[in-house]
Amino acid sequence: MLEVNDLTVAYGPVVALHGVSLTVADGSMTAVLGANGAGKTTLVRTISGLTRPRGGSVRLDGRDITRLAPDEIARLGVAHVPQGQGVLAELTVDENLRLGGLWRRDPKGQRSALAEAYDLFPPLANRRHVAAFSLSGGERQMLSVGRALVARARVLLLDEPSLGLARLVLVQIMARIRALVTERGLTVLLIEQNAKSALSVADEGIVLHLGKVVARGRAQHLLSEERLRHAYLGF
Amino acid sequence: MSRFFVLTLSGLTQGAIYAAMALALVMIWRATKVINFAQGAMAMFTTYLALFAIDHGAPYWVAFAVAITSGLLLGAIIERVLVRPVESAPPLNVVILTLGLLLFLEALAPMAFGGQIRSFPPAFSIVGLHLGNSQVAFSPFDAFTLGAVLAVMVLLMLLFQKTNLGLRMRASAFNPEVSGLLGIRVGRMLTLGWALASLVGALAGVLIAPSLLLYPTFMDDVLVFGFTGAVIGGLDSAVGAVVGGLLMGFALSYVGGYFGSDLETVGALVILIAVLMVRPRGLFSLQRLRQV
Amino acid sequence: MVAVRSRVDRLVAPTLRRHLLIALGAAAVLLLLSAQIGAYDDYNLTAVAIFAVAAAGLTLLTGLNGQLSLGHGALMAIGAYTASLLLKDHRQLPVIVVLLISVLSAGVIGIAFGYAAARLRGPYLAGATLTLAVALPQVATRYKSIFGGESGLTVPPSAPPDWLGADFPPERWLAWIALAAAVVTMLLLANLLRSAPGRAFKAVRDNEAAAALAGIDVARTQVLAFVISAACAGLAGALFAYWSGITSPAGFSLGLSLQLITAIVIGGLGSLAGAVWGSIVLVFVPLLTSGMASTVHLPSAVADNLPLAIYGGILVIAMLVAPHGIQGALRRILAIGRARWEYPPRGGQKGVVDWDDPAPGT
Repeated sequence: MLEVNDLTVAYGPVVALHGVSLTVADGSMTAVLGANGAGKTTLVRTISGLTRPRGGSVRLDGRDITRLAPDEIARLGVAHVPQGQGVLAELTVDENLRLGGLWRRDPKGQRSALAEAYDLFPPLANRRHVAAFSLSGGERQMLSVGRALVARARVLLLDEPSLGLARLVLVQIMARIRALVTERGLTVLLIEQNAKSALSVADEGIVLHLGKVVARGRAQHLLSEERLRHAYLGF
Repeated sequence: MSRFFVLTLSGLTQGAIYAAMALALVMIWRATKVINFAQGAMAMFTTYLALFAIDHGAPYWVAFAVAITSGLLLGAIIERVLVRPVESAPPLNVVILTLGLLLFLEALAPMAFGGQIRSFPPAFSIVGLHLGNSQVAFSPFDAFTLGAVLAVMVLLMLLFQKTNLGLRMRASAFNPEVSGLLGIRVGRMLTLGWALASLVGALAGVLIAPSLLLYPTFMDDVLVFGFTGAVIGGLDSAVGAVVGGLLMGFALSYVGGYFGSDLETVGALVILIAVLMVRPRGLFSLQRLRQV
Repeated sequence: MVAVRSRVDRLVAPTLRRHLLIALGAAAVLLLLSAQIGAYDDYNLTAVAIFAVAAAGLTLLTGLNGQLSLGHGALMAIGAYTASLLLKDHRQLPVIVVLLISVLSAGVIGIAFGYAAARLRGPYLAGATLTLAVALPQVATRYKSIFGGESGLTVPPSAPPDWLGADFPPERWLAWIALAAAVVTMLLLANLLRSAPGRAFKAVRDNEAAAALAGIDVARTQVLAFVISAACAGLAGALFAYWSGITSPAGFSLGLSLQLITAIVIGGLGSLAGAVWGSIVLVFVPLLTSGMASTVHLPSAVADNLPLAIYGGILVIAMLVAPHGIQGALRRILAIGRARWEYPPRGGQKGVVDWDDPAPGT
């Protein structure tokens, strides 16, 4: 279970997050919605340890991970798929994928996870030994997500996976992730600007506006809230 | 034996040393985006440590091991203690820091080991080999020098390309933030990168010391020519460093042999400028587009 | 027309006037100072002024235009050899003529180097200039008949003019010349930096692509910075020739180039005041440390090398504790005295909230 409690983050005088709290239960998916600049990326960066909060805490299964380094948090099974720049462009597709699970020191499990990732994303299998910088935007996104799957993460932080992805590919990826949530109890925090598609796969939803939580609830419920949709979600 | 052949052989041995120095600089550049101007001084210091061991009765191979190991440790310590805190400082600050370290080590060595110029024993004979009736300008020690540099380069290549540790190190050098998110202990990888690089530098020092004499600034030229070689090859390419270093060895040998040794550095400058005017980021740079 | 003129006056004149006032004030203080101190201190003051001229030029190039030169000693050598060659054949040539011709020759050679440098970036430029610093003295060694080889060329001192009296110390005269050169250089550079080319230098340093979009010719700006910087180095080199009395390859080793880059970073990169601070450190810290080392009785191997070890240590520690140099530290101290609320600390990090554009999600 991922718990964020009263998290406040500031860059100099600019406060990006204002006492944000949320809980994602094991085997569930929560969508974090909001416009550009609402603080969504800051939220995931703080959870994964890249940004230090000014106050509040992040807990994983009851353990306080607020002050841990990013690599320590990753080794607890939290995979952060960053927005856009997540692949190591100079390394090959295969190397990128392998890096995801290296910390587990489990060569056998790694091999099957790799095979699974290639199954899921056939375009990657064809370009196994190609340097990642020659991939298209969509392929890079597949690679980032695939790498998190190879890590066999317990908690997945997805920052705008829809960015640069073709609609069909996105649907495939989300279906796969959804299956992992139900079958293996994967916990997912999904950051999205595209509220409609995010809420259609998520269990819960949270709306951030200027660093504050302005609405939260069941995904179905949020989808049907006319007022909310107009005010913050824009559809 | 033709003059050209003699010059080629001596260029090859010299070039191997420059290639090792260039490789050390490139490894550190790739890991931490720092040009380590103290690399030569560090190698000087570890060579003095080896000589210290010999002075105290250690056989050559023990001294050799002392140089290599102390290189490894010195690199790790310098990265951890001095370079880590200035990681996010402006790049010029790190340049000045390594220059300060250079001056410090070059002053510390005579204080610790005495000021007089010393000679350093070679592992094997430095008398040219006999091929039939003629003697060639290539000694058993030259062969050892080439072999040692080659062996280290092959081992490093295997480490970086074939092992998971090497993969982690490359990832950390290319993108520390993403590497951290993948559970890699980036700090350790960078320290290890510095350690291995200064091992290579220490190797260059202990191999060149018998043909130069040992004094605090004896590695300065090797550093300059190694850096020139690294720039010619392209600072992001290990292969480029080796090729650039060898190129410097040959070029200096030919220029010195045909035009006089006082024009060696001018020759180096001409070649460097010629290469950079055609390829401003070195011979082996990849002009790649790195877009979002 | 009148309106434009008065506007120009309002914009330019106060700065120029302020710079002139500071320059005159500095000149007066230095004049008085040089009269108070002995020949030895005049000699050191001259060294500070010479380094300040070269460091100011390097500040323009590296600090303000972003081109890293590790070979500025070579450009000083061009100035020094120009002056020495002139004086070899024309001993009576007035100082001002010698200095101007040296500036000109370094500037002209700077054009060629500048064009090459404009193609190179960061460590590649550093490598090229470093090699230049090593190679150029070798040319002087090679062509003995012109440049005097290893032993170099002797430089006749510039005699003080008669109206200063017969027993006017030549060290003080040279100090005056060097200080005048330094003050004039600073004045010209300070005004240049406040004008359009100065802003272009910084724009190119900060973001070449943006500068190009704003209509700045990036390559030309870089060449211009290099030429001005080379001219300063040439002036410093010519003064250096007078100061040392001999121009030889050993005087322009790689060490000199590295000292210059050290000076501008220790002083505070990117400000002319920083160049002055750095030059003071460069001259006086080694004097101080060797003075200290000689008062303690140590074995000669230790005593001879202790100053250098301390100097190297100071560089390392300075970079760890004062990354913005002396000028940066001074600014911070001054800033504490000022009202803090006026200038809130700047954010500007990656991922900062974008307040202006709460665009709806699509």
